[in-house]
Amino acid sequence: MSATLKPLVEQGPELSVDEVRRYSRHLIIPDVGMSGQRRLMNAKVLCVGAGGLGSPALMYLAAAGIGTLGIVEFDTVDESNLQRQIIHGQSDIGKSKAVSAKEAIAEINPFVNVVLHEVRLDVDNVMEIFAQYDLIVDGTDNFATRYLVNDAAVLLKKPYVWGSIYRFDGQASVFWSEHGPCYRCLYPEPPPPGMVPSCAEGGVLGVLCASIGSIQTTEAIKLIAGIGEPLIGELIVYDALEMEYRKVKIRKDPKCPICSDSPSQTELLPDYESFCGAISDGAAEAASGSTISVVELKAKMDGKEKFMLIDVREPGEFEIVRIPGSILIPKQEFLNGSALEKLPQDLPIILHCKSGVRSAECLAVLKQAGFSDATHVAGGVLAWAKQIDSSLPTY
Amino acid sequence: MDLVEIKFYAAAREAAGVPHVHVQPDSIEEIIASLIKSSGELARVLPQCSYLIDEVAVRDRSIQVKGGSRIDVLPQFAGG
Repeated sequence: MSATLKPLVEQGPELSVDEVRRYSRHLIIPDVGMSGQRRLMNAKVLCVGAGGLGSPALMYLAAAGIGTLGIVEFDTVDESNLQRQIIHGQSDIGKSKAVSAKEAIAEINPFVNVVLHEVRLDVDNVMEIFAQYDLIVDGTDNFATRYLVNDAAVLLKKPYVWGSIYRFDGQASVFWSEHGPCYRCLYPEPPPPGMVPSCAEGGVLGVLCASIGSIQTTEAIKLIAGIGEPLIGELIVYDALEMEYRKVKIRKDPKCPICSDSPSQTELLPDYESFCGAISDGAAEAASGSTISVVELKAKMDGKEKFMLIDVREPGEFEIVRIPGSILIPKQEFLNGSALEKLPQDLPIILHCKSGVRSAECLAVLKQAGFSDATHVAGGVLAWAKQIDSSLPTY
Repeated sequence: MDLVEIKFYAAAREAAGVPHVHVQPDSIEEIIASLIKSSGELARVLPQCSYLIDEVAVRDRSIQVKGGSRIDVLPQFAGG
């Protein structure tokens, strides 16, 4: 799978004297040479996000002489970004990240044409934006956008270089459905909402961005110039504490809903936030540190622990499938407060719903009301049916 | 009978305390359940993982894993 592919980009015009001087260290590498540099200078690369991974990626892509660099970014620079987002500086605090990145790139390499897309990437704009580029670098920070990027890239048959970081761990791969697996072949579904902390919640070692961002940039350059073996069908798993890079082979999933030979999904999903079960900030805060998995719930049951398991779905849903031992108190009763008087003060309360979104909202209400040891179940009854008792129906 | 090799990565490796274990062939969901019994730490990490059986991701966790197979356990995160 990982044989050298033909260059992604045609050669651009001949280099000027200034450009020869600037790129001389590339030009004298036989595998890059004049033709490779002309391909880089003719390439259009889009970086989704000018944050942790986007910073080193954009800076090195700019220095390498990529002709056109697009940046999708709607956020502004915050002081807490500066620990890792090295394309931005102290004087950029409060400024648009896209503009700040553009200014930094102009200082690194004035020959680069920078195109800003100061929007939040969504189903309405992603295809039009991606269509303008040869290759995409994914440096986003949430699951919804990652699945959106994947699906759009598959549908447009574009290669994209994926990277992800958390604390001391990083992962990277090249997803190009024409030649190998896609993100969904590796991660078929997003994790249950509230189960995986973001970097904002769990932290990230700043320099990890450089480790993973530089892999992404290296792979982008290799694809554009057609050199080396691309990281297609392979995942790099980086562990900064052990200082180990491991490679895991991934094959195309013959049942992948979007990139298999007979895909069940032939266009973008209507809503990636709901696909990933996005929850409100208040609910996310309540769920942080107060979320248990279905496996932990099962262990509590098996261990005969005492607790009250409350299903916050609607009666019709409760009729279809339920977790054994649960009682029904629909979400509305939490929101209007009437549920609170039904709750025991002397038993830990565990909430669940279908997928973990509604239960997180109800958990926020309970926490406000002083039920500090209340928890909710990540993934809800669907996770129960999938991981604990696959004989149960799902809906 | 040939055993199934389970290789842990990143947070799963940390939670397991070992890079890999060998288990009897069973369904993925039964294998996960038995791993969780062996380590409470894994109970928190395993539900957010993807499981590759011989390099292909698992979508249906009731399927049987044959002896001699390898399962890669990969935690999913989205930071950038």
